[in-house]
Amino acid sequence: MTTRRAIIQSAGAAVALAQFGARAQSRFNLAIIGFQMSSETHARVANAAEAAAKGKGWSAQVLNSKGEMPTHIAQFDTLIQNKVDAIIVAMGKPVEAEAQFKKAKDAGIPVVTVMSGSSPHAAFDIAVNEYSVGARAAIYLMDQLGYRGNILTQRFEGNTATRIRGKVLDAVLSENAAVKQVGTHTMARTASWRDDVRAGMSALLLRNQGTVDGIWASFDGQAYIIDDLLQQTAGAARGKPALVSVDGGPETYRRIADPKSFLQATVAIPFERMGTEAIHVVERIAIRKEAPGAINAGPYIYMPSELVDKTNVAQYLKK
Amino acid sequence: MKNFAIRYGTFVASCLLFVALAIAAPNFLSTGNLTNIVKHITFLAVLALGFSIALTTAELDLSFANVCSVASVSVGWLIHNDYPVWLAVGTGLTVGLAAGLLNGVLVTVLKIPSLIATLATASIANGFAFMITQGVAFVGAWNPSFLWIGRGTIGGIPTLVLWLTILMAAAFFLLKFTVTGLRMLSVGQAAEAARLAGISVPRMKLLGLTISGLAAGIAAVLMTSNLASAAPNSAGDFMLMSIAAVLLGMTMFEPGRPNVPGTLCGALTIGILGNGLVLLGAQYYMQDIALGVLMVASVAVSSTFLKRAALSV
Repeated sequence: MTTRRAIIQSAGAAVALAQFGARAQSRFNLAIIGFQMSSETHARVANAAEAAAKGKGWSAQVLNSKGEMPTHIAQFDTLIQNKVDAIIVAMGKPVEAEAQFKKAKDAGIPVVTVMSGSSPHAAFDIAVNEYSVGARAAIYLMDQLGYRGNILTQRFEGNTATRIRGKVLDAVLSENAAVKQVGTHTMARTASWRDDVRAGMSALLLRNQGTVDGIWASFDGQAYIIDDLLQQTAGAARGKPALVSVDGGPETYRRIADPKSFLQATVAIPFERMGTEAIHVVERIAIRKEAPGAINAGPYIYMPSELVDKTNVAQYLKK
Repeated sequence: MKNFAIRYGTFVASCLLFVALAIAAPNFLSTGNLTNIVKHITFLAVLALGFSIALTTAELDLSFANVCSVASVSVGWLIHNDYPVWLAVGTGLTVGLAAGLLNGVLVTVLKIPSLIATLATASIANGFAFMITQGVAFVGAWNPSFLWIGRGTIGGIPTLVLWLTILMAAAFFLLKFTVTGLRMLSVGQAAEAARLAGISVPRMKLLGLTISGLAAGIAAVLMTSNLASAAPNSAGDFMLMSIAAVLLGMTMFEPGRPNVPGTLCGALTIGILGNGLVLLGAQYYMQDIALGVLMVASVAVSSTFLKRAALSV
């Protein structure tokens, strides 16, 4: 039985695969690489780009580099071999993968990145001005504290954007000496980062019980964990400590509007708009054949960010 | 026929997968793509090789991915601080070797189960990797001589392919044609019998774990040189993939036992599957599902044959 049936089944599978492959070849072929799809922000960009591409009738393949450079590079190489029409990279590593970016450019495949940093081999990077984002979050926290008091910070140095936000906070703190950073925790792990943040901030909150006026988190995912910890702490009252972070999203807005939550504000980064903007740019370059110089003067296409707090969160909850 | 199916069933299935992708996936058979597959599975195969040698002595090394990462950032730090290439490479290998030796001592001298000892080493390695980098990867300009190790070619053949061939051949020779290799196999299959035969069981286990660490160091040097970057978690994804490659390998050639040709074929199968699915336009989640299905199917088919063979004895 087995040999003949196995051959027939294998042939059937090969035909199905061939049909699948042929279908994928017939339209404008876009590949979207999310560097770490388990990160909500990476997934939001990739998913928005995929939806926008499919809305245009394109074939859109989403790949997940799982936060690993070897995987990222292997995927790039394979896509170049596959002669895709364009590549969008969400939160990629153009410096580390410079050889692959160059290969894509040499192969005539336009690459548009989102929040990845500039590369001479990519058309554009769609980004927000992280220095400005960091300043808005830091200044908002200072405003809430009246420019005096004790703060805790939850940092992440492994990502360019969160690192910049932390450095800008340090600059703001250096000019406001009455605000003291009494404790800081830097997220070290990536796969189990939630547990890392929970453990680190629990210890800091315990050590500084009752003396903390504000908490700064480098991104909203960290803020959720800190907010939950604070809500579980007996005696904690809304407003103190004031919790501020960056990113935005439905869960963040829900918490800002929730009277029980300590999360007071975020700087909303339009990840979905970035994904759709990347599609728009790919269309102009790869289909309308517009010169990059006609689209934007520099390597960055900046998108607007907005501070969201209780005064304007209602309009975000409606979206 | 039954014996053939037991020994070569997974191998034949892998070959059928190759043929199916060759028919279905555009550009799959191009020289460039095939070279890419072999290049990209090199790190996976070298790490899996180390894991399989430790497993040969019936010990688990769960630290190899983190050891590879810390060795990689050690190399990166030295190169970026303008130390000579030989020193950076030597340090990478030494870090791997030392971690493997530490695992061996913890298991054989302190009698800590390898599962726990190597997890502890993994945690220590992870801490050191972040301590060296502060979370920021080493990127930018690299010494061209260093980059040649992982990016060069000899007679048109990528150096990575040559390193992989040399390492696989050396491991195969060690396990098949040396007294030490045969002793390691004996310890893995029946430790008590090996002890009664006069073989030093702790020494063989120490050797197995040390080689696994060294393999992580070698993979680190090759990976850092090929990627021209060194991040504190650069080899994290290889943990499960390498174990998967070894498990797949244990279903072929010498069923139920870790073996060098099987490990290489396991790594190749994973590489071919991942590459082929990308070429076919499959979404990212399909790749994880397909890999899981492949592993379950391979092991299920082989274990069915093994059970039948056992019953027929």
